[in-house]
Amino acid sequence: MTDTTHENPMLPYLGRLVGVSDLATEIKLFRVELLEGGSQAFAGSQPGQFAFLSAFGRGEAPFGIASTARRGQPQNGGGRVLDFAVNRLGSVTTGLHELGEGDEVGVRGPMGTPFPMEAFKGKNLIVLGGGIGGAPLRPVIHTVLDNRADYGRLTVLWAARHPSLLVFTEEYDGWRDSPDTTLYLTVDEPDATWDHHVGLITDLLERVAPSPENAVTITCGPPIMIHFVAKMLERLGFAPEQSYVTLEARMHCGIGKCGRCNLGEKLVCVDGPVFSMAEVGGLLESFL
Amino acid sequence: MRVLSRAELGAWLDALAVEKALLAPTEVESVVLYRPVQSSAEIAPLQGNASRPVLSIKEAFFPPTERLLLIGKTTGPGNGTGGQFRLRETLPEGEQIVFGVRPCDARGMRALDALFLHTQPADPYYARRRENTTLIGLACAEMGPSCFCKSVGGGPDDPADVDLMLTETDKGYVVQTVTEKGRTLLAGLELREIEGEMPRSALNEPVPIPDMLAWPPHFQDAFWEQSSERCLSCRICAYVCPTCRCFAVRDEALPSSQGEECYERIRCWDSCAGDAYRRIAGGHNPRPEKGQRLRNRYFCKFYYYPQQYGPVACTGCGRCIEACPVNIDITEILAHLVTG
Repeated sequence: MTDTTHENPMLPYLGRLVGVSDLATEIKLFRVELLEGGSQAFAGSQPGQFAFLSAFGRGEAPFGIASTARRGQPQNGGGRVLDFAVNRLGSVTTGLHELGEGDEVGVRGPMGTPFPMEAFKGKNLIVLGGGIGGAPLRPVIHTVLDNRADYGRLTVLWAARHPSLLVFTEEYDGWRDSPDTTLYLTVDEPDATWDHHVGLITDLLERVAPSPENAVTITCGPPIMIHFVAKMLERLGFAPEQSYVTLEARMHCGIGKCGRCNLGEKLVCVDGPVFSMAEVGGLLESFL
Repeated sequence: MRVLSRAELGAWLDALAVEKALLAPTEVESVVLYRPVQSSAEIAPLQGNASRPVLSIKEAFFPPTERLLLIGKTTGPGNGTGGQFRLRETLPEGEQIVFGVRPCDARGMRALDALFLHTQPADPYYARRRENTTLIGLACAEMGPSCFCKSVGGGPDDPADVDLMLTETDKGYVVQTVTEKGRTLLAGLELREIEGEMPRSALNEPVPIPDMLAWPPHFQDAFWEQSSERCLSCRICAYVCPTCRCFAVRDEALPSSQGEECYERIRCWDSCAGDAYRRIAGGHNPRPEKGQRLRNRYFCKFYYYPQQYGPVACTGCGRCIEACPVNIDITEILAHLVTG
């Protein structure tokens, strides 16, 4: 094994788990140190991109990269560190959840079309995350916070079915402390200590009613949530070109070969996972 | 025209089989397939459509199951953590010749090349096999009952996608050199020059093919659900097709010694007709209905694939018509889009 990047796109890099923590019920956060050529391969990873993680022997699956390349800069001769949020649902995710610090995983990527962060500069950003859908949005938030002057107002609407399913709770104060940044939280079902909004993210969005003036929206969550948020955004005056989403699909290669993830004539792995609602609306096939 | 007698052809193939793997139409448990043969004596009789192999040559470049990587681990001390994984890519080696390639099968390579070779990143497994393989084509004297190659831009005597093309005549096999690779394979072979006209193959009635623009207006038709009612989601249409290329990737355990783990990562044929094809962990499936899956199959071939990669993903070989256990017929599907 050498430090060069792989020519074979199906050959994973090795990664070592340098942190495994509980993010929410059945959701763990994996901090992966990329070894050998992997550190170099992910140097240019952009918000919105994803990677395939291997639980060797179980298989591999795609996960949104939940951190920025910059915040994972190699230190003390080590490799770049990237975060992944993994919800335990099937055989690969169960395999990953069985691993601990020091264990090795495989990593392939970075893959996919990222958010157009350059085009977002100077605009107001409205970020809507539902459940684990917040994970791929976290690098968007970090990019704005780390380059605050480049972006306009940041409004974050963060939702989950229950408080125990909210992700990155320890970061919320840091987000609120950033200039011109507001965080709204909502859950469908509160617990005894909950004192924020109760209800669907679409209700919250309607109440907050952000202005579409010089704004873009970025939404990630379950398909049904994306669908209803898009409808609400339209009612609030947002054009489909202003609304961005990141979609999910079953994938086996992530590089546009296996054919599985097509949404009509587009591939979620290559043309997406980031799409504007204008693109999504123009497709024959529905993502629902 | 330059010709080879049957005996000369046999001798030449025998000589080639010594240096390289030779795949040719041969009977395997009463079914004709393109398979490795040790000598030309094993080649099945070449006349007629009945002798066309039931699977295409796709297998020689994109096998039904293919090992991508070997994954090995020596367990670390104590509780098993800290051991080191080693990954090794397993790229295919060795040159091969495929003989008796029907034009419909050769044309299938166009669609596969557009995806696996000409769209970045190139697939190294497919690329190796493609580079290391020479195709010797065989023209069909006539089109078979389900064939419509001519209607989708090909033809039963089309030499376009092979390296050498053979056409049987009563004076022997006419040899056409199509590529440099083909010319190299002929080196040292004496061909007889004869007078005569190149025979042309007998054609079927053309099958009307809808224009690309005809597809989108029919996306919501009830026709798809109706046509798919009898579909068993068995996926055989994809397996016999020269252009279908969807695959699954899986890790499989291999035997290993005490204290070690060993796996292979493989890819294998899959098909959008399958029920679980798009189902994600957690249960969501964007194509739960057979009609949606049937629709995807045909839209992919004639509408999505050409937009994404260039070629239409159908060579008119008609194998899907012959293989489908419930007689779903691609030409009837196409007719709906032409007349509808």
